[in-house]
This record gives sequence, C-alpha cells and structure tokens, in this order.
Amino acid sequence: MKHLKLIGIFILLLWLFIFGFHGQAFCEKVLRIGVKSGDMGILDPHMSATTANLPIMDSIFNGLVRFVPGTVDLEKIEPDLAERWTASPDKKIWTFYLRKGVQFHQGFGEMTAEDVVFSLKKAAAKETSAWWSNYLPVDKVEALDKYTVRITFKNNIPSVLALVINNRGGMVLSKKAVEKHGDGFKLNPVGTGPFAFEEYVPKQRTILKAHPQYFRGRPKIDKIIYHFMPVDQSREMALEKGELDMIEGTKAEWWVNKMRGTKGILVDALPPGELTVVHFNLTKKPLENLKVRQAMAHVLLRDEFREVYGKQITEDALSPVPPGYLGYTSDVKQYEYNIEKAKALLKEAGYPNGFDLGKMVTSTIYLSSAELLQQQLKKIGIKFEIQIVDHPTMHKMIRSDVNALIPYGAARFPIADEYLFQFYHSNSIVGRPTGITNFSHYGEVIPGVDDLIDAASVEPDSEKQKQLWIRAQQKIMQDLPSYSLRVTYVLFARRNNIDLGYDLKSNISLHYQITEKTDIK
Amino acid sequence: MFSFVTRRLLLAIPTLWITLTVIFLLVRVIPGDPTAAVMGSYVSEENIKTLKRQMGLDRPLIVQYFDYLYKVCQLDFGKSLITGVPVMKEIKTALPHTLELTACSIIVGMLTGIPLGLLLAMKRNSLIDYLGRLFSLGGISFPVFYSAILFILLFSIRLDLLPTMGVGKEGNLASRIQHLILPSITLGLLMMSYLTRITRSATLDVLNEDYVRTAYAKGLKGKKIIFKHVFKNAAIPVITVLGMYTGILIGSSVITEIIFHRPGLGSLIVGAMLSRDYIVITSVMTLYAAIVILINLLTDLSYGLIDPRVRLS
Repeated sequence: MKHLKLIGIFILLLWLFIFGFHGQAFCEKVLRIGVKSGDMGILDPHMSATTANLPIMDSIFNGLVRFVPGTVDLEKIEPDLAERWTASPDKKIWTFYLRKGVQFHQGFGEMTAEDVVFSLKKAAAKETSAWWSNYLPVDKVEALDKYTVRITFKNNIPSVLALVINNRGGMVLSKKAVEKHGDGFKLNPVGTGPFAFEEYVPKQRTILKAHPQYFRGRPKIDKIIYHFMPVDQSREMALEKGELDMIEGTKAEWWVNKMRGTKGILVDALPPGELTVVHFNLTKKPLENLKVRQAMAHVLLRDEFREVYGKQITEDALSPVPPGYLGYTSDVKQYEYNIEKAKALLKEAGYPNGFDLGKMVTSTIYLSSAELLQQQLKKIGIKFEIQIVDHPTMHKMIRSDVNALIPYGAARFPIADEYLFQFYHSNSIVGRPTGITNFSHYGEVIPGVDDLIDAASVEPDSEKQKQLWIRAQQKIMQDLPSYSLRVTYVLFARRNNIDLGYDLKSNISLHYQITEKTDIK
Repeated sequence: MFSFVTRRLLLAIPTLWITLTVIFLLVRVIPGDPTAAVMGSYVSEENIKTLKRQMGLDRPLIVQYFDYLYKVCQLDFGKSLITGVPVMKEIKTALPHTLELTACSIIVGMLTGIPLGLLLAMKRNSLIDYLGRLFSLGGISFPVFYSAILFILLFSIRLDLLPTMGVGKEGNLASRIQHLILPSITLGLLMMSYLTRITRSATLDVLNEDYVRTAYAKGLKGKKIIFKHVFKNAAIPVITVLGMYTGILIGSSVITEIIFHRPGLGSLIVGAMLSRDYIVITSVMTLYAAIVILINLLTDLSYGLIDPRVRLS
C-alpha cells in the first residue's frame, strides 16, 4: 500500500513537471509559418527563387520599386527603395532617386547608389545570377551621386520596372556584406527589408528577426520562424493545434471546406494561379500534324480537369498565358468539346482508329491530370501508358524529349512576355543551351511566335506591346503546340488572430507576405 | 575480447567503403541534380551548366569520387552542395535527436514488449494470448506514418495533451519530454510488437526445457522460475532481435521525424534526397551503415554478459 502511494505521488509530480509548462506565456510576438518543403535552398535572391525561399527573401530584401502588398499588378507599382523615378522620352534612360537614411541589417550602414549599382551588376552577371539574361538589354548602370542611379538600356524592354522590382534580380543587396561574406552571403543575407536573417538550421527552420531601423517603421512582429515541413498533414495538424500560425495548403476543394469549417482558421485562395497545360511534343509523330492536335483539343474537357481539384479553387484556362498577367487575353480560338468532330479530324489526318503514344513519364503532382488525359484521349483511340517517377526525375526526363505529351503546371512573374518566352520561344526549346521549358519544340518543327515575342520585348508603346502579346496568344491557340487545361489558385491557411496588415488580393511570393504591419492579435 | 572487437572494427572498414561507393554511384544514377533546388525549374540550360561548374559537378565522376573518398579518409565529409554547410556540422546537430528518439523508443518497446511477451507465454492459448498476439501483429502491420497521424489526432488535436511538432524549448526538460512522448510511442509501438512476439516464442521454448520442469517439481514459485530461470535463458534471442530491429527502428525514425517535424538524420536525408544533395545523402547513408554495424557489434558483445558460455567460446 505504501509503495502504491509513493508511485502515485511520483506519477503526479512527473505529470505536473511535464504538463505544468503547457501554458507558458512569452512576451515576444513570434509568427510561425509552415513551408511545404524539405529545406530552404539559399538566400541569394539573384541566384535562387524557389517556393521555399521566396517568402523568406521577400521579408529580407527590397527592390527599387515594389508591388503594392497583397497585389501583383504591374500597372500599379509603388516606390520602395527609390522615392521616385523618371524616364527619357525614348524610355532608354531611367533615373531612380533613392530614399535617404535606409539602413541595412546587422549594422552594414546606409543603403546608397553604390549598393544599387553593385546589386544590378551582380544580377546581370552570368556567374552570380540566374536571371542575368533578363539584364542583357542593360547598357550601363551608374551612380550619379550617393542617392541617384541611372540605368541606360541598349533597346526597349517589356518592363523596366520589372527588372528593379522586389523580386529576383531586382532585390538590393549590401555591397559590403557580399564582399565580406563572399560565397557565405547565401546563408548570411543582408538586405534592407522589415526582417533580418537570424538563424538557419538545415532541413528544419529559418528564423528572421525584426529590423528595428526599417525605413517604414519597426515591424509589429518580433520574429518569424519558417518551419520546413514537406508533409501536408503535419502542417495542417500543427495549424489546427495552434503550433503554427500560417501554412501552405493542400490543393483540393475538400481541404478548403474542411479548414473553413475548423474553428479559428481562415483560408485564402489566391490568384494569379498556376496554369496547367498539356504540351504536345511536335517532334513525336503524329503530333506534328495540326489536325491531330485539333482533334485532341476537341476531346479535352476542361470542366473535368477543374473538378479534380474543385471548382472553388480553379478557373477555366482559355489562353496559353494565365489570367491576370500583364498582356493576357481570353480572345483566342476555342475548341468546343465534340467527339464526332475530333474523330473526323483524326480520319482526315490518316488515323481513323487513333494511335499509341507510348509511355508518359510524370510525377504524382501531375498524376491526376495525366490520368484524365489518358481517359479523355482514349475516347478517340489515342493511347499511352503512365509511368510515375519522383518529381526531380520527371523534370530531368521531360527535358530529354521522353514524352509525347507533357502535362506541366507553372506560375511565373505576372507578365505575358515571361510565360510566352519560356514556353513558346524557340530559344527556350529544351535541350538547347538556352533551353528553358519549351517542351513542344514550337518554333523549330513548325514556325512559332518568336517574331511577335521579340517585337513586343522592344516595343516602347505599352498598348502596342500588349497587342503583340495578344497576337502571340492567338497564334498559339491556332497552332496548338499546347492546350491549357486549368488554372489552380495558390492556397494558404492562417489562424484568425493574424492580421496581415494589408488587403490580400493576390500574391507573388507564393506565400503570405509578411510586412512591418503584419501583427498577431 | 580486445582482438575480437579490433577484428570486427577492421572488418567494418571495407563494409563502409562498399556502402559509400554504392551510394555515391546510385544517387548519381537517379535523374535530377541539385541545381534545381537552388535555381528552381525554370532557368536555362546555360545557367544550370554554370552552377554545375561552381558545384564541381562538371568534373568526371571518377574524379569526384576519389576527391570525396580522399576527404572522407581524412574524416572530412564535405559540404552540402546547396547551402555549403559542412555535412559534419549538419550531422552533429541532427544525430543526438535521432539517438534520443531511438533510445526512448527502445525503452518504450522493452518496457512494454518484454513483459507482455512473458505474460502471453504464461497464458498460452488463452483469450489474453490471442488478443495480445493480434495486438502485436497490428503493431507490426500498421505503417508508422499512419499510427503517427492517428496519435496526433487523438492526443494533440482531440485531447489537447501533447504537441504535434518539434523538439521543445532548449534547456527546458519538461518541454523536451512533452515533445518526445508521441514520437517515442509511435516508434516504440513497432519495437514493442517485435519484442512481444519474440519474447513469447523464446519463453515458450524455454518453458518446455527439463530444468524448468525440475524447478516446478522442486516446488519453486512461478514468479521465481520465470524471472530466474526462464527469462534469463530466453533473453539471447530477445537481444538478437533487439539489436537487429534497432537498425530497422533507426530507418523508421525517418518517417517519424518527418511527420513530427523533429530534427534528426531522417529529416536530413529526406531534405537531401528531395534536393539531390549528393554529398549529404552519401555521408548520412554511410553514417547509417556505421551505426548499424556498431549496434550489431554491441549486440554480439552483450551475449557474453548474459550467457558466460558465449564468452568462453
């Protein structure tokens, strides 16, 4: 009996010891974010832009100009590190007047024209930037004085402000910090943003702390912890339990409904979404035949592709460019669902009984789209087998022309030029040294839209430029090197005590943007 | 004893070398490379080529291999291709967490599995025996990721008792224990199931031995026979299984760490696999092999402590 009493007291004390700390209060305002990734990559915005590190770099760095927080409208850009700017009448010389007194993190001093010139030159150099080719039209970048920067262009480009905006190569780095840290800068980033880098634990978390001298005022939040959590359920349960404040969601309507029904959780489904497209590899017979591609377009039912994720979180994809991008048009040829017409077109093309396209290599991310393609094309006798590989393997293989059909989803910088160039310009054909994601070999097997994309990229008149992009989209829908299937919004969830501090309409950093006004209530 | 340990340790060197070589080659055969983890999937081939040169991946494979092997011989396991963080530093941060989780799971497994196994052997063919065997079969068959999610839903979300993620606050023992309970139970369930089954069958074997019958005939009490005569003799197969399955447990800790968002070798290896960080994958996998070899050695040595005949032979 005595032993039992002792054991009972021991268990009670142990219980109190372990669980007594449950409600411990902390003075610091710490925002905890679950990122859908196994790791962060690096924090040099000129070298890297992945879904894991974009939101982190977004809080650390500024550009000369920025999107209004919560929007991605290129036509409503506002000043960031530059107070104002002017352009010469031919739009080839741009002068930016910098804010005075902007301080870098970690005591690296005031941001000046020297840092801006250094950053733009770094963004334009092949060895130190992944976006160097965007800066090829730049002729000179010079500091006119401590607070004035002049950029001279060789020719006109689609959007000068897109080169100096708070994204990728437009981010301004501390020259002194880069020179001090060298290659180590990628894990010791120094910018002027509302939050400064504090700590990185590989494959676990990155911590940012408030930058007290931030030029828009001290952030309301003291710390941000980004947890790298690749498992959807882990992030979701941690948010539900209150151990995380924000997470990236699961792309499914049932998930949205479930989370919206959970007490204390808000769900945001944001454009610009990810456009899912099936690219027709024109080097694979008989896809070079236009009638075959038209027949396929006539049996691909977009409604069913939307239903895979749910209609609440998707929209129709009418054009080869996602809606909401500068230069987008929906005024393009559409192919109504018509099996008889599709069969007739196949017969005219010499394939009355359809054909076999062999194997399609894809990853689980595109599996539902691949299965739907398989199911819908089977109606007119077009067959293929699906082979599942992991995501990096798929990326490698689709660049080696393994597939005849390539389902692919992407979101890019919201300007038509970027999407058109990467997916439809002949310079971007996979396998070429300049190759990016032109999987169809459009512009090589059949004439493409290089002339329209190139002409738009140097057109100084923005209205004429938009018309050129519209013509390119219309021609693509006539030629059908690809067929757009669906637009899926980016999904996030947050605790309802998080005040973002801005009106959230859309997003470029593929996560919630944390500004100096973001607060925990 | 000394020469036995030395011989076993020397034999481990070629095993580790073969492991390292096979993994080094295998991870490079898988399509994809670490450049995508840095630059994303929408940069030109030219950019990728430049980055590969900076990472040293443009050199012939054989040069990369010998360069890596030379460094490993000097106990330099290289740096992450992506972040540049030394692999040893990453391992030093992660390893204690994996060892902590594995050790706690083994304790949970031993404290529950061995007594349950003994009980089932003693109550052979009773309802308790059937239910216990069914329970242990369930423990082995249930995937760790599934039981982990069920435990979180029950103990964290419904009952609001335990945290769902992390390792707790540094320097706060109570918080550390709190964060360790669910992962340890999840993983310990696996060990418990293995131990229950092997303890039961080993005990049943011993219970049929003549000396046990003699002990009963002498009028010794059941408890004394079980703990003094039966369990000691049934312990050798139990220890063998314990050693064998500790390796499996370390492997299963990968999933547990990922679901509970705990740092450890599991998180390290999954992150490295997803980003194709060849150096981290090769080094961590070789470390896994080294741990398994060490556990096997310790298992062999522990036989001698239990059964003096093993020591003599």
